[in-house]
Parts: sequence; C-alpha cells; structure tokens
Amino acid sequence: MHSGQRLAPLRLIAFISVLLSLYLVFFYAPIDSYLGPVQKIFYIHFATAIIPYLAFLLVFLASVAYLSTRRRAFDRLAHAAAEVGLLIDTILLVTGTIFGKPTWGVWWVWEPRLTTSLIMWLLYAGYLMLRSMTLDGDKRASLSAVYGIAAFVSVPISFMSIRWWRSVHPLLISPSKINLDPSMWGVALSTLAAFTLLFFYLLLLKMELIAVQDGIDEVKEEMGDLI
Amino acid sequence: MKKDLKLELVTKESMSAMLIFALLVMATFGLAFGGELPKGMAAAGLLWITFLFAHILGLNRAFFYEKEEGCMEGLLLAPIDRSCIYISKVLSNFIFLSLMEALVIPIFLIFFAGSALSLISWLMLATLVLANLGMSVIGVLLAAISMNTRARDLMLPLLFIPVIVPVLLAAIKSTEIITAGGEAGALFVWLRLLLFYDIIFALVAFLTFEYVVEE
Repeated sequence: MHSGQRLAPLRLIAFISVLLSLYLVFFYAPIDSYLGPVQKIFYIHFATAIIPYLAFLLVFLASVAYLSTRRRAFDRLAHAAAEVGLLIDTILLVTGTIFGKPTWGVWWVWEPRLTTSLIMWLLYAGYLMLRSMTLDGDKRASLSAVYGIAAFVSVPISFMSIRWWRSVHPLLISPSKINLDPSMWGVALSTLAAFTLLFFYLLLLKMELIAVQDGIDEVKEEMGDLI
Repeated sequence: MKKDLKLELVTKESMSAMLIFALLVMATFGLAFGGELPKGMAAAGLLWITFLFAHILGLNRAFFYEKEEGCMEGLLLAPIDRSCIYISKVLSNFIFLSLMEALVIPIFLIFFAGSALSLISWLMLATLVLANLGMSVIGVLLAAISMNTRARDLMLPLLFIPVIVPVLLAAIKSTEIITAGGEAGALFVWLRLLLFYDIIFALVAFLTFEYVVEE
C-alpha cells in the first residue's frame, strides 16, 4: 500500500481533534479575569511544553535501541523525533515570549525555566546540525545516537529547575494541588491530547520521508556503481 | 596518554595557545566592563567562561594528530581496549585544563582582584577538580564525535556548550559562594551536583565511546 494512505486515518483524527480543541479554547474556555482573552495562548503553550519532553525521551530511547540492535528504523525514529520535537519546542518558545509580554511586561526573562528551555532547544538544534554535518549513513547513525544519549542527560535539569530555584514562571502542578480552574484544566488537557496526536502523525510522516530518502540514496549509489 | 604529554612537552602547542587565548578572553572582558569590576556571580561567570573557551580550543586539538597523521587506525589496531584510549585522552585533557587554570587564576586575581581574593582555598580546588573532570569526560567524547564531521572545529562548541551547562552552572554557583565567603551547606549542594554529573557523564561516555571510534 502507498505509505501516505496508511497514515490517512491518523491524519484525519489529528486534524479533527486539533479543530475541536481550538473550538474549546476559543468558545468554551472562560476568559481569564486578570489577563483577558490573551490568556488563551496558554493552552497552546501548555501543550507544546509537554510534548518536547516526550519527543526528546523518544530520541534517547531510540538512540539506545539503535546502538544495541543496529536497526536503521531506530535511527529514523530518533531523527524524526528530534526534528518534530524541535519544531514543537520552537512553538513553545515563541508562544512563551508572546505570552510573556502582556503578563510580565517583558518578552524574555533570564530565569531558570526559560534559560534551561532555551538550552534544551540548542541541544537538539546541535543534534540536527550534527546529523547534517556527517555524510556516511552508518557512521552518522551511531554518532548521532551517542550524542542523543549525552544530550538527554542534560534535559532533567530543565525539568527540575523550576522546583529547585525560585522562579517567576508559574508552577502549574505541585504535589499538593493543581493551580488552575477546573474548566480551564479540561481544555488544557484536551489541547494536549490533540497536539500529541498531531505530534505522532508528524513523527510517522517524517519517518516515512526519511525512509524514502534513504531509498533514494541507495539507488543513487547503485547507479554510481553502474556508471 | 604518555604520548600526548610528551608531544605537548616538546611543542607546548596546545598549552600556550590555550593560555594566550584565556588571556585574550579576559582582556576582552576587561574592555567590555570598562574598568568596573564585576561582582559575585558575574565575576565567577567570567572566570568559568574563560576556562570554557580555552578548554574548547584545547579539545579541538585533542584528536588533531590522530586525524592528521592517520594514527587513529594504528591506535585502534593496537591490542588495547578502546576504553583505554578514551581514559588516557580524558586524563591528558584534564591535565592540560588544570595546568591552564593554575596559570590563569593568579592572573585573574590580579586583573579582577576586587572580587575574587578567596579563590585560593581547598573548596575552590575541589570545585576545580570536579568541574574539570566533568568537562573532560564529556568533552573528549564530543571531540571524538565532531572529529568525524565536516567543519569539525565548528561542531565541537555547538555540541559541547549546551551539554556542559549543568556542570558550568554548578561551578559558577560554587565559585560565587566561595568568593562571597558563604556557608558550606549551600556550597555542598553544588559540589554534589558536580559529582553527580561527573559520574553520569563518565558512565555515558565510557559506555558509548567505542561506538564513536569504530570503523
């Protein structure tokens, strides 16, 4: 079967759920009493804050799996997860700065959570850079797998930073309670679910794309031998 | 490792380059601050950023001779464990880094003395040793990775700086506490974090190094 067709059901589900969550964000969620309508960007910000952790955890696990099994599928998974994760992480940083201006009065503050988020973005930008700078297929796979493991070691500090240091960034979920109105919380979770579906669709699509690219490279090599 | 040290003793190439580079970075900072001495965390940050930049310079040279002269194949063919190559590289890098710092710190004290007189102490030594270890164990691994890429001296800082941030942060924080004469309890939190990252980084690098050098 054509590979695009296999992903069609997932694409449809992701599309509908993103539309549905956007409807909830704009027409169902209450307007924040302090911040007004601008607070609605929070839902996108929240969803895109969680997914990069998932994506980069996938990079880590796929890298370990590649080094122990040497199956190219794991390398493709790591590559795709890093790229789609970085895309969503970029949306996180952009929505964060847009959200920061009306709430804090400034676009950016050099405080632990924001600083470590930017560093996490740089870690995986470096990862993709490394991939593009290494030509050979097998060598590239094992080098980037090693870096995918080393980079992930630095990720927990970003997650823990907010709990270790005082921060102007609000803490949503603390051990004792959830600091959010229940109706807002429901919308936030449904946005997260919709974006997670979108993430997996993009992830699988990217993996197909890389597989096609690998195929083309192989054919090219064979052609080169013939000539 | 013996080879690296001997080579360095003869040429003094990496060391002098690292040292002069560190001086240059400090002079640039002095220029940027326009005679106003940075205080507290800013001073500690200056010191560690100087070390970091000079260290990257040294790391870029770490596999230079192996690559240029094709010695890596010889090393890999030699009847020794791959981890042996890694450990000796880390040790020689650690020694270069520590020597450079031993020379730079007195100069730092002269230039920025207003803020950092208490830098000569056992606690500072502990910070230096732990941070240098962390920077060397992960630095050598990433130098070995970037050696295999196009534009390798460009790739190393791109890969190295974000990964080393936790170690750098802990080193800066603990240096800040030492210079401010703060309490030991706050200091040990950061030293513990340094130790923790040293162990984790060493473990990761030790387990993955052979995949980097394989053909």
